[in-house]
Amino acid sequence: MTNAEMPRVGAREKVTGAARYGADHTPPGVAYAMPVVATVGKGRITRLDTTAAEAVSGVLLVLSHLDDLGIVPAGYIMAGGYAFQSLQPLLDDRVAYRGQPIALVVADTLVAAAEAAGLVRAVYEEEPFAVELDAAGTETVLQEEALPLPFLADVVVGDADGAYERSPLRVDAVYEAGPQHQVPMELIGGVAEWRGDTLVVHEGSQSVGALRGGLARQLGLDPDRVEVIAPYVGGGFGQKNSLQPHLAPLAVAARRLGRPVKLVLPRADTFHAASFRPVSRHRVRLGADRSGRLLAAIHEVDQQASRHDLLPASYTEITSRLYDIRNFRGRQRHVRTDVQTPGYMRAPFEHPAAFALESAVDELAHAAGRDPVELRLANDAVKDPVTGKPFSSRHLAACLRRGAELFGWAGRSPDPCSMRAADGTPVGWGVAAGAYPAMTVPVLARVRAGADGGVLVEAGGHEMGQGMTSALVSAVAQDLGIGAGSVRAVVGDTRVAPHHLTAGAWGTHSTLLAVHAALRELRERLGVPPEGPVDVAAAVAATGEREVVTEAVTRGPGQPPEAVDRMRAGLVAPDGPDYPDHVAFSFVAHFVEVRVEPAAPRVRVSRVVSVADCGRVASPVTADAQVRGAVVWGIGAALSEHSEVDPRFGGFLNADLADYVIPVNADVGAIEVDFIGEPDLTLNPMGVKTLGEVALVGVAPAIANAVFHATGRRPRRLPIRIEDLL
Amino acid sequence: MRPFAYAVPATLDEALRALSEAGPGAKLLAGGTTLYDLMKLDVETPPAVVDIRALPELAGVDTAGASELSFGAGAPMADVAADPVLRRDYPALAESLAKAASQQLRNVATVGGNLLQRTRCPYFRGGLAFPCNKRRPGSGCAAIGGLDRGHALLGGSDACIATYPGDWAVALIAFDAILDVAGPRGSRTLPLAGLHVEPGDRPDREHTLAWDEIVTRIRVPVTAAGRGSTYHKVRDRESYAFALASAAVAVTLGAGGTVEECRVAVGGVATRPWRCHEAERELVGAVLDRGSARRAGETAFAEARPGRQNAFRIELGVRTVAEALRIAGERAER
Repeated sequence: MTNAEMPRVGAREKVTGAARYGADHTPPGVAYAMPVVATVGKGRITRLDTTAAEAVSGVLLVLSHLDDLGIVPAGYIMAGGYAFQSLQPLLDDRVAYRGQPIALVVADTLVAAAEAAGLVRAVYEEEPFAVELDAAGTETVLQEEALPLPFLADVVVGDADGAYERSPLRVDAVYEAGPQHQVPMELIGGVAEWRGDTLVVHEGSQSVGALRGGLARQLGLDPDRVEVIAPYVGGGFGQKNSLQPHLAPLAVAARRLGRPVKLVLPRADTFHAASFRPVSRHRVRLGADRSGRLLAAIHEVDQQASRHDLLPASYTEITSRLYDIRNFRGRQRHVRTDVQTPGYMRAPFEHPAAFALESAVDELAHAAGRDPVELRLANDAVKDPVTGKPFSSRHLAACLRRGAELFGWAGRSPDPCSMRAADGTPVGWGVAAGAYPAMTVPVLARVRAGADGGVLVEAGGHEMGQGMTSALVSAVAQDLGIGAGSVRAVVGDTRVAPHHLTAGAWGTHSTLLAVHAALRELRERLGVPPEGPVDVAAAVAATGEREVVTEAVTRGPGQPPEAVDRMRAGLVAPDGPDYPDHVAFSFVAHFVEVRVEPAAPRVRVSRVVSVADCGRVASPVTADAQVRGAVVWGIGAALSEHSEVDPRFGGFLNADLADYVIPVNADVGAIEVDFIGEPDLTLNPMGVKTLGEVALVGVAPAIANAVFHATGRRPRRLPIRIEDLL
Repeated sequence: MRPFAYAVPATLDEALRALSEAGPGAKLLAGGTTLYDLMKLDVETPPAVVDIRALPELAGVDTAGASELSFGAGAPMADVAADPVLRRDYPALAESLAKAASQQLRNVATVGGNLLQRTRCPYFRGGLAFPCNKRRPGSGCAAIGGLDRGHALLGGSDACIATYPGDWAVALIAFDAILDVAGPRGSRTLPLAGLHVEPGDRPDREHTLAWDEIVTRIRVPVTAAGRGSTYHKVRDRESYAFALASAAVAVTLGAGGTVEECRVAVGGVATRPWRCHEAERELVGAVLDRGSARRAGETAFAEARPGRQNAFRIELGVRTVAEALRIAGERAER
């Protein structure tokens, strides 16, 4: 079986229902919890009446600020902590945003818990609040002043304002995207269980290490007394990248009751219980010569923040690098509003940033009268315009060329409104590029070679459907020349290894790096050559041991050893994309065909071609699925997904899967995926860059640009809905 | 969800008795696709639920009759949507079902229960913190002046602008459907047009059935206009979505494309299934072309009252009616 034919590890378990997700764990004697959430936009709880709730048969416990939970906040993930926000509910009477938990009801049954939760009554002293960028009462702060860290400073290269003013061709436009929610199929929740003095948590998470470290901090435990188990995650997309505030109270309830407690948040609650993609507004100014050669770019961003935390923004990290722009000025600001802290949702900054920049580039191509692919090729960069360092590898031009060929771009008629389908439906073709940093994180991996010839990999990493276990099994099987059936991989389990957060698309190649190192050492211990097939059973038997175990800890190029300590503590420690000798990014080009229905001007995506430069493709089956999934995400992001905000009430109103409109299969046309596949051996010895995030970057602007081509109307706000084209 | 008494009667008579004994506030359970959802949201808190899924009197579909089509109220939406005669002779009826909800929901939801699906207004569903005259009479209407992109343009009042969300009833009202209703005081028939009521100053009242009555059957008079019909539905995604605007249209055409018989109803835009008699009257005798179709749409929406975000759905509704007339005209026998 070749690598390309290897099926997805765990596929059978998932389609037969055998895979056990966090909340599937149902230990004997488990009790059920249900949250109660604030129904005002901001204020103070003046009275909390739990009498009726406590009277419901089967109710065991109602936790709230009236009680002393004996916990402390876990700290904000981006400020030395573990949680998606610094605010830990249930500790005082403050309500910072609508939907904030104010009580947790625990009962013998889920039905009793839900009934009782509905009977908790709160009286509030309400305060004015603001939930929109332009609302009165917001507060705007400059990122480089509020977060004075070198890597968060505004990107400034050359004299962008002067060069812009002198440019014969100029584009100046404002774009807006968000808010959006990740809405993974697997709801937020898990099971907390005490086994003696040890807290065991089953919960779908992209960061079991953060849950371990954070719970230890919150409960005053030695981290060794916390075990977090998450073999599968039913979709994370950033929503499950840190500790969420339900878990410590759940552990408190389990300890008080002396029995395990399970909590699965209702879908509506997940819109306020975890992070979301904040609304962001982008003013982009591009200056170019008459041929469309870029001379200057200015990218100014306002991003929604909560009152209590600032999500460090990096929109300009890719907009300053996508093209060879010698004069660039970025400015990133935060607008404080009364919401939970927004956070990371797939390509958190890069998707909106690319929507803004790549729409503006399309506007420039139109103004210059140049083909949008040609214009992008003419502006390709050979080295990083920000640092002057080489790219570890950069094949964006190849992505554009191959995509154009696969799509049949040469047959495009340049003028807007000039193409029609056979039935007269207006057709538009659009293109956009994307980039995403190739970051690397510290990972510990262990390889256990058995006398039976089987190999077990235990590593820091998480399987959230992206295919990490498939990539690991495939890598080990190929390296040792053994069947994939002889290899098993365990990830998402603090009992076997410390875990860094898996996000930012750094998971697969970072973990592969550690596995690669552990395999090199295994070969040495087995006394076999550094390359070539290995008879594992014979080699292990020759050592006289029943099992040969090797372990490796790896980190990014030039990353200091303290990063490993942070990883072991469950804190974030990504390295890159600015490495000592190079900068590293993955690249992608998307080509989109839309049809705009003539009667009701509804945008239908009929065809997409996506070509990615992610270095060597680590796992073809799952890589292909990653890109397809990202294109579907992009269709939703461009055309339908929007978290609706009513400024009179706060919170998010369309908090269910009927009203938060993600695409259905019938909304998705043909998707063709291809990879450049050139190994990036500068970045790491496997030649693998990142894929899961870059695949989404540029889908939305490619759709928006296709809409412009079909209709002559330029969408500058996502999602693009019927009313925008009517 | 609150505890409730649960009864599973074996016959219609037993069901009527069980309902009477349970008293006002009891709810009938058919497919459960809406009732369970609303019970989980605490919108519905019935003390008793009478399960009528298996009642033999509610079963059966007959689309072969000489004078009328007959649908047992308990027939699953998916079964009726797939009926070959209905698909051929009354595509508007079949399409209105096929374009509703998702296949999974249609497999269990019934054609009777679907008639009284409650509104999807997010404030109504969102909890008691939102003013909602439908849920708490007198508390106000959060949708008026709020996020009203999906709210009603027709039939609203100062107390409520919640959209009637169904598709099937919109198609049925275009075909003059009649309901058979059983109750402790005997059986009666009720035109579908008399079932739903506009919110007025009592948005909590949505229909004219008594609390102890059960809809047993839906009947549709046979008409040649069925062949030239369509249910055209425009929505934010291709399936599993409620209509931004929809139109059920049926026509028969005479010589030169002149409209002889005409039925027009619109959905997703009104507080109840909305028949457009005025548009029909204008079309009869006219040649069906782009201009007359467009004018019919404009007439259908002449009384539309937009709010903050939903004004675009007037133009969308006009175009939807026109497009439905175009499709129906192509299907009509000449």
